[in-house]
Amino acid sequence: MAAEAKDDVLVRASGLTRRFKMGDSYVDALRGVDLSVARGEFIALVGPSGSGKSTVLNLIGGLDRPTGGEVWVNGTALSASDERTLTRHRREQVGFVFQSFNLLPRLTAEENVALPLMFSRVPEKDRFLRARVLLRQVGLGERLTHRPTQLSGGEQQRVAIARALVGRPVLLLADEPTGNLDSAIGAEIMALLRELNEEQGLTVLVVTHDAEVAAFADRIVRLRDGWVES
Amino acid sequence: MTLKDLVKTSLSNLGRYRVRTVLSSVGVTVGILTIVTMLSLGVGVKREIAHVLEGVGLETVRIRPATEEGTPLTQFLQPQRTVLITQEFVDEMRARQDVIDVRPEIDVPWGINISLRIGDEAIPITVDEVPWGPAEPFAAPPELVAGAGLVPGDEGKIYLSSDSLTALGLEGREAAESLVGQQVELVVQAPRGDTEVFSLQVTGVFEPKYGFDGPYFDAHIGVADALALKAWWYNDPDILAHDGYDALMIRAATLSDAAEIVNIVEGRGFGVTSLQSMLEQINQVMILVQTMLGSVGGLALLVASLGIVNTMVMSIYERTREIGILKAVGASPGNIRLLFVMEAALIGLIGGVAGVIGGWLLSLGLNEGILAYLAWREVPLTGTFFVLTGWLVALALFFATIVGLLAGLYPAARAARLEPLDALRYE
Repeated sequence: MAAEAKDDVLVRASGLTRRFKMGDSYVDALRGVDLSVARGEFIALVGPSGSGKSTVLNLIGGLDRPTGGEVWVNGTALSASDERTLTRHRREQVGFVFQSFNLLPRLTAEENVALPLMFSRVPEKDRFLRARVLLRQVGLGERLTHRPTQLSGGEQQRVAIARALVGRPVLLLADEPTGNLDSAIGAEIMALLRELNEEQGLTVLVVTHDAEVAAFADRIVRLRDGWVES
Repeated sequence: MTLKDLVKTSLSNLGRYRVRTVLSSVGVTVGILTIVTMLSLGVGVKREIAHVLEGVGLETVRIRPATEEGTPLTQFLQPQRTVLITQEFVDEMRARQDVIDVRPEIDVPWGINISLRIGDEAIPITVDEVPWGPAEPFAAPPELVAGAGLVPGDEGKIYLSSDSLTALGLEGREAAESLVGQQVELVVQAPRGDTEVFSLQVTGVFEPKYGFDGPYFDAHIGVADALALKAWWYNDPDILAHDGYDALMIRAATLSDAAEIVNIVEGRGFGVTSLQSMLEQINQVMILVQTMLGSVGGLALLVASLGIVNTMVMSIYERTREIGILKAVGASPGNIRLLFVMEAALIGLIGGVAGVIGGWLLSLGLNEGILAYLAWREVPLTGTFFVLTGWLVALALFFATIVGLLAGLYPAARAARLEPLDALRYE
């Protein structure tokens, strides 16, 4: 699905800056990023480490606030939002997939996947029904009650993807999702994300420094030193 | 998050750190245990005292003559009486509508040298007025062996112990029964050398009870005879006019009448003991004991709450990443705060439950101990001195939970304030 085929813009960032305080000095992670993501697009944000690609992802996901500029996701301005709006945004609009999976080790696969729905007050029974559907969808129908330590890296990342999808988000944000996996498993994970994008029209934003991973995307956005290169 | 999810999640989190949870709640347990024991003692003792005094009658007022303040020089001497219980005062009290019974008392002088003589045999004995009755709520009358006991107003009568008869060689019930109605002699010898014989009729024989608090006497006589004895001992036929009665027992019609009488006689300068005022004194002692125990319990709870704060703050450090994950998947600061407050409150509640159970067991043990002690001392008191009521249990659990909850507020606020990104990056 090419970006041109969609005129509906899901994510729009303009003049986005982010300055971090490091001891007595400041580091400008972003120096004015403009970015536009159409609904249903699969985009790879690439760049060397320190280029600010993860920062862009965090700002779009509402995990962080920009120092300057604006970011809109699905009609909500996140730059000037209060904590309440950001929480809602994280809960309802986006799903996160991290490099280190970030599953809760004491919970089973299905409990991990069902967890976000607890905060949306979905009844327990419905939470687990949905979690099981998603785990089957990502190929873990036989691993429902396994804990993360009993799962391989690839399986853990599939659980994480199922968890990211459980709240029916419009946008999936993945930060180096294959970083802790070998390339074959990494390719499987990327294929899964691609499949979700194509079959369900899920908009996907993947941060990576790996060209092979980026090759799964419709469009590649390159960052360097806090600027968008292309 | 629903309440059910909140409780479930908090319990599962506490279950992860069982040892720590238990250790943190031990402080609460100690505090609640102390407070529960203290309050149950208060409830029980008040109940028991009220129960005992109900049987005796709270309407009883006991009056003593007022005496001079003792100085260091005179404190070991018999103090001079300043306000006397005169016969006129006794009559005045008798004339009152709100008074049921008035009983003047005369103490047989302390150290008096008396012998009991029956036929040719004589033994030294101790004699007193009747020491039991409403004025002595904890002294039960001794058991009657033969004849009848003394009643107020008896004159020329004596009530003898079976022990003194045995000492005179008159053993057994038959000997006692044969003596009832007979004249016996009390021989009194004064230090000045005189000897006087008082002839008295035996009204009955009793089996003395050793052990209960209060002095034990071999024989009891009526107030008129006690007065005669005292007058002769001090060589003062007009001793009633000079010294008055030694005490006066007034039984009022109602509790408020008793209070009224207490006011009147206190106004005249008499020393007053009423059961009501005894009850108040006991209450004051109870309040003191309760305050002390309460302070210990309160201190334990304060320390316990600091322990909970510490546990929760440590827990936040360990679970920073988890908090980041929860925030990333949509937990609000409020959700995080509630989770931590709930955990702290549950630590308090767990400690409280253990404290209530511990306090209950301790109360049972102490109760048994007290009863065993009282039985050993032959104090005729039984009952439950520690009473754990439903409201007490509810109050203790509520209090324990509140202590935990308050201790959780600060750590929870810290957890809620964490920036999701910082928390996720925390290693």
